Amino acid sequence: MKTILQANKISKTYGKKGTAKYTAINNLSFEMKEGEFIGIMGPSGSGKTTLLNMVATLDPLTDGEITIDGISVSSMNEDQLSDFRSQNLGFIFQDFNLLENMTVFENIALPLSLQNKKLDKIQSSVHQVASLLGIGDITEKYPAELSGGQKQRTAIARALIHEPTLLLADEPTGALDSQNAATLLDTLVDLNEERKVSILMVTHDPRSASYCSRLLFIKDGKLDRELFPSGTRDEFHQEILAVLGDLDRIPLAGVRS
Amino acid sequence: MILKLALNGLKKKQRDYAILFTGLIISIAVFYMFLTLSLNKEFILQNSVINNIQLVFLVGTVMLSVITFFYLFYTNSFLLSLRKKEYGLYELIGAKKLQIRRVFQIETMAITGISLIIGLILGIILSRVVSWVLMNQLNIGFIQFKVVYLPAVFWTVIYYLVTSFITSSIHNLWLAKISIIELLRSEIQNDLLPEKPKNAALMIFLGLFLLAIGYVALYFMETLRFIGLFTAPIATTLGTYVLFVALLPIIVRKWKRNKKVNFKGINSFTSGQLNFRLSSLKWVLATIALLIALSAGAIAGGFAFKNDAFTSIDEHWQYDATLYNPGAAEMAVLDSIPVEEQLTYRMKLDDEFIYLVLDELNAAPPLIRDMVTYEVVRPDPLPEELEIEGGSQIVSDQWFTALYAINPALGGTKSTRIVPLEEYELAEGEEISIVLARTADFSAHIEEWQKLDELQMDIYPDLVTGFDPETDSVATKYAQFKTQYAIASGTFFMGFFLGLAFLTMMASILMFKILSGANNDIRRYDSLRKLGVRRRVLENSLSRELFIVFLFPGILGLLHVFVGMRMFTFIMDEPYYRLWVSILIFLAIYGGYYFFTIHLYRKIVLPKQ
Repeated sequence: MKTILQANKISKTYGKKGTAKYTAINNLSFEMKEGEFIGIMGPSGSGKTTLLNMVATLDPLTDGEITIDGISVSSMNEDQLSDFRSQNLGFIFQDFNLLENMTVFENIALPLSLQNKKLDKIQSSVHQVASLLGIGDITEKYPAELSGGQKQRTAIARALIHEPTLLLADEPTGALDSQNAATLLDTLVDLNEERKVSILMVTHDPRSASYCSRLLFIKDGKLDRELFPSGTRDEFHQEILAVLGDLDRIPLAGVRS
Repeated sequence: MILKLALNGLKKKQRDYAILFTGLIISIAVFYMFLTLSLNKEFILQNSVINNIQLVFLVGTVMLSVITFFYLFYTNSFLLSLRKKEYGLYELIGAKKLQIRRVFQIETMAITGISLIIGLILGIILSRVVSWVLMNQLNIGFIQFKVVYLPAVFWTVIYYLVTSFITSSIHNLWLAKISIIELLRSEIQNDLLPEKPKNAALMIFLGLFLLAIGYVALYFMETLRFIGLFTAPIATTLGTYVLFVALLPIIVRKWKRNKKVNFKGINSFTSGQLNFRLSSLKWVLATIALLIALSAGAIAGGFAFKNDAFTSIDEHWQYDATLYNPGAAEMAVLDSIPVEEQLTYRMKLDDEFIYLVLDELNAAPPLIRDMVTYEVVRPDPLPEELEIEGGSQIVSDQWFTALYAINPALGGTKSTRIVPLEEYELAEGEEISIVLARTADFSAHIEEWQKLDELQMDIYPDLVTGFDPETDSVATKYAQFKTQYAIASGTFFMGFFLGLAFLTMMASILMFKILSGANNDIRRYDSLRKLGVRRRVLENSLSRELFIVFLFPGILGLLHVFVGMRMFTFIMDEPYYRLWVSILIFLAIYGGYYFFTIHLYRKIVLPKQ
């Protein structure tokens, strides 16, 4: 299997010179193979969103190197990073981040428009991905007219249309009810298993995490442990809950300083 | 404590307040300048020419104060909407409504106070500059003119303080009624989906129809008179609103329907933004279009008025100089310029009549403008015998005009008798000679005319009973021109500064309106950045979007001016004189606002580099 993401001893420190520094990510390394569905978990303030933003090239590294699909993104300038994101990455956010002044169709088409693809190609791709996600009949609506689940599907369609190397999801079920969340996660699993889409997802929800093929637990900016599913999804869920309980106990004991 | 918090909140919204300040400061400065020019008491008493300008500036003050009232009202409500959430938070942590209301009032008054200080300083500088320019233009000294004039300072301060007290009190009442939850939620508001235009074709037709009526009324104002005066503003205003409401959404819709263009680069986002923005701003934009018409119209009108002082003086006076008993000094001045025609008449005055020689008049009839045909002609020869009716000789209308042209200073004082030479020789009284002179271009010899008027000043006291050289002016073309030119220059300055003040206030309303939507946009631009859109592309999208927003009211406003200037034909000859200069001035200011808005918008929605 090809390695599509490699984080090598990355660190992120906030705070200017002379002020108190805060280390969000501390000398962290991990690898991701093509077709993996990795979940990142950890308590609030553990640095999981910072990690995702660094992988997403939105937040520059203080130290270390990130390589995506063999390309090092650490040394790129702003424009190069923009282009890299628009071609190689797909994003799903908790609050969907759909552009509410554009129709569903326009939202989904945007990544291809930005690459100046031909209109025919754009139209056929949008129809294809929209029907794959079951939103083929609402493409002329505006986001304000959609339900939460429909919005998230639109966001996924937009994240997938340009066939990115890596799909990044930040709490994708955070704004959904349990029914819609389950449907969404099933969709992600389908995409992962059938279309071999590699997914990196940050979540604090153990239920969502149980859909992943590998879990990384972050604590105090460091990789605390890894977890692989062994039995059924429910068993995996229980296992995750146990780990989280374990992680939570330590700060209560007052070790964190 | 609350006051301290509020002061901090104010600091955070510096940028919005800066826009408010510019509009307010310019308005105050111009207001003060108008008042100083119109109220300077000693100055009025000293100068008869200035008397005329002062009325012009007083009219300007009234117009400015009306618009300023609405501006203050609007900006005050905008200020409140900026701070709503913050006030809600204060209330949430236990501040009393009364405290919050007091803070709001103090804030508003403080803003007005600061603006007043800066505005008055600017106003004093402005008065100095404008009075200096007027002085040079009119060739008169501004003795006794006080740039720092306390009554003007007093009235400016009173007007702005009272107005902002009234507007903030009205909003205060509203603040008293609103619930805490509404205050807290006020920032979370989604843009409404643009409605599908209903009966769009009909509306557009109606809008164009109304605009056409308005334009026809403006164009034929001279013939329509009062009907036109009422129809033009009403139809044009209605037409502008209907057209903006119906046409703007259609244009964007049509644009979006062109998929090849829409799905290229970031175009779909830009047009989506416009679609929402234009439909939420259509009322404001229509208002802006009308106010642009007013401000550009004021600038252009002032310009045309100034030019008119030259052209209209030639309409009424065919002879550039009318000299009573000219001496060697006068003749020397006349000899120094290329005179095209010079006529001399003799006149005798007794206790009852003014006598003129029939043969002299018939031998050299002066040029006059016929009041019926409006052509420049020489009157037909007078008959040998002139009938007398009710003590006056009956002459033709043309000769009536001619007699006034020959004898402008004394013509109305006594009855005129046109008599044969023999009869004239027998008449009692001192003989006076009158010389009329005409050049090809009156405006080319202004200095000479002024000199001749000064020389005539010595002759008039003997000629006209009760003539006081200190206060009265001679009856010449130049004297009338001087008065007319003073009014025209006054109108020019008033038009220019009124236009400038209108424009500053309007543009700052447009900026407010656009920038208050910017907070909603931060998330959108952030999403786009995350999706991998280059900064340059985002900047371009933003510039294009705002360009269209500024463009529509600009175009329609200027169109109104182009048509509307025609209206002035019934008070001046060439209302379109150098219109391009006024348009350029307008475009420079409006364009400046456009770029400033873009700059601020970028600072709000795009992350720091």
